[in-house]
Amino acid sequence: MSAIGLTAAGETSAAIDRWFPVARGEEVVPRHIVQAQLLGREIALWRDDNGLVNAWENRCPHRGVRLSIGLNTGTELHCRYHGWRYASGSGQCTYIPAHPGQKPAATMRVGRFGSAEAHGFVWVNLSDPAEPPMLSTPAGEQLTTLRSIYTRAPASTVAACLLRGYRFALDPTVAADSPMDAALVAGDPYTVRARVHAGQRESTVTFLLQPVSASDTVIHGLLTMHDVTADRLAVLRHHNAQMSALRDTAESA
Amino acid sequence: MITLYDFELSADCYTVRLMMAALGVSFRRIELDVYPGREHESPGFLKINPSGQLPLIDDDGIMRCGAQAILEHLTGRHDPSGRWQPRDDPEMPARIARWLEVAGRLSATAGSARLHDTMFYAAEIDACRAGAHALFRALDEHLWFAEQSGHDWLCSAGHPTIADIACFPHVMLSEEGGVSRLPYPAIRRWTDRVKRIPHFASMPGIFNASPSRSAPT
Repeated sequence: MSAIGLTAAGETSAAIDRWFPVARGEEVVPRHIVQAQLLGREIALWRDDNGLVNAWENRCPHRGVRLSIGLNTGTELHCRYHGWRYASGSGQCTYIPAHPGQKPAATMRVGRFGSAEAHGFVWVNLSDPAEPPMLSTPAGEQLTTLRSIYTRAPASTVAACLLRGYRFALDPTVAADSPMDAALVAGDPYTVRARVHAGQRESTVTFLLQPVSASDTVIHGLLTMHDVTADRLAVLRHHNAQMSALRDTAESA
Repeated sequence: MITLYDFELSADCYTVRLMMAALGVSFRRIELDVYPGREHESPGFLKINPSGQLPLIDDDGIMRCGAQAILEHLTGRHDPSGRWQPRDDPEMPARIARWLEVAGRLSATAGSARLHDTMFYAAEIDACRAGAHALFRALDEHLWFAEQSGHDWLCSAGHPTIADIACFPHVMLSEEGGVSRLPYPAIRRWTDRVKRIPHFASMPGIFNASPSRSAPT
């Protein structure tokens, strides 16, 4: 069904060289720095004015301050502490305010992670991968990313709760479309697909789990719809409610 | 000229400074040594304000204390635009009132956690942090759906209101009380927007944002 980077052979060994979604692409807005975390590593995620997304270690190489409290100027990220500047793309330090006349050494460079945009998400691979993220999705259908849900429970607990049941309506604004139990398929430890259908009309959510740490998980959702004309905002609210209920279950498990 | 009885590190006093900056109202400050001096409990200050509460303003002899009351006062008397507390939309007062109430609960949770951690105030610290996270979770959801509807601000108007000003300080200072905003990406985007309000004022622990892409550089 779905293959994202390497197939997970074992959760811990395969988890490092693997692509995970860490944000909805449209939420990585210009002149902003997203503070994300994957497998315990903090990430400063920022888009430059040309649209390129950088996924950097959230730590200034100078004094270790979080870069996510810094400034995104559109071409560079400025550290809040001593104003060191780092170039989009390379992560190379371009300017040190305390030494304005000196060219920063080539070794002064921010730690970078593999990043890519696909299927409405920004994906990060903590290793230095050669292959881009891949996710098989039904072609020719309407794709929407749902609101991502931060959950204070491990990914394995979230996946188990998901596989126990997810109910949703094809069109939540139509009374006849009452919520149905979805058919659930586990792609791998971090991917669960949920599908409901009525005749030709069908709707599938691909849940993609982002293991923030050993204890926390972000549930991302990619929705594909076929022959469903529901109001977009109503659908988003519906899945937000269903996924929030799932989060509450996982957090009390 | 308005006189503000002020403590620089108080989130509630900052709320008032931020509002006056955005309104372009000039004021003079009388700084009290609240921590560690507890000057707001001194006989001298209690003579001016028997409640001992900050912030306090003296606006041509009208004395108002408490951040929310002062926000109401300032928009009532010093906002010719009428934008900060719009009264033409009948839905707006109730919407704003809801977020002012949330601001009060943010103060009691995130704000108390910060006072506990930075100025050694007594507090049920775990309950304060848990309460702050519950409020942040609801705030993040509200702001995410606002964005999906094309709205940047808490009360759906095309511009910020006193609701944004009232909630921002306790949210932005939360990490001083051990309440991380990493789980709340929509809140983080909204705080950047607040920081780009014209004439935005910062305080210790709250930094300016970079200029927006459209702003002249």
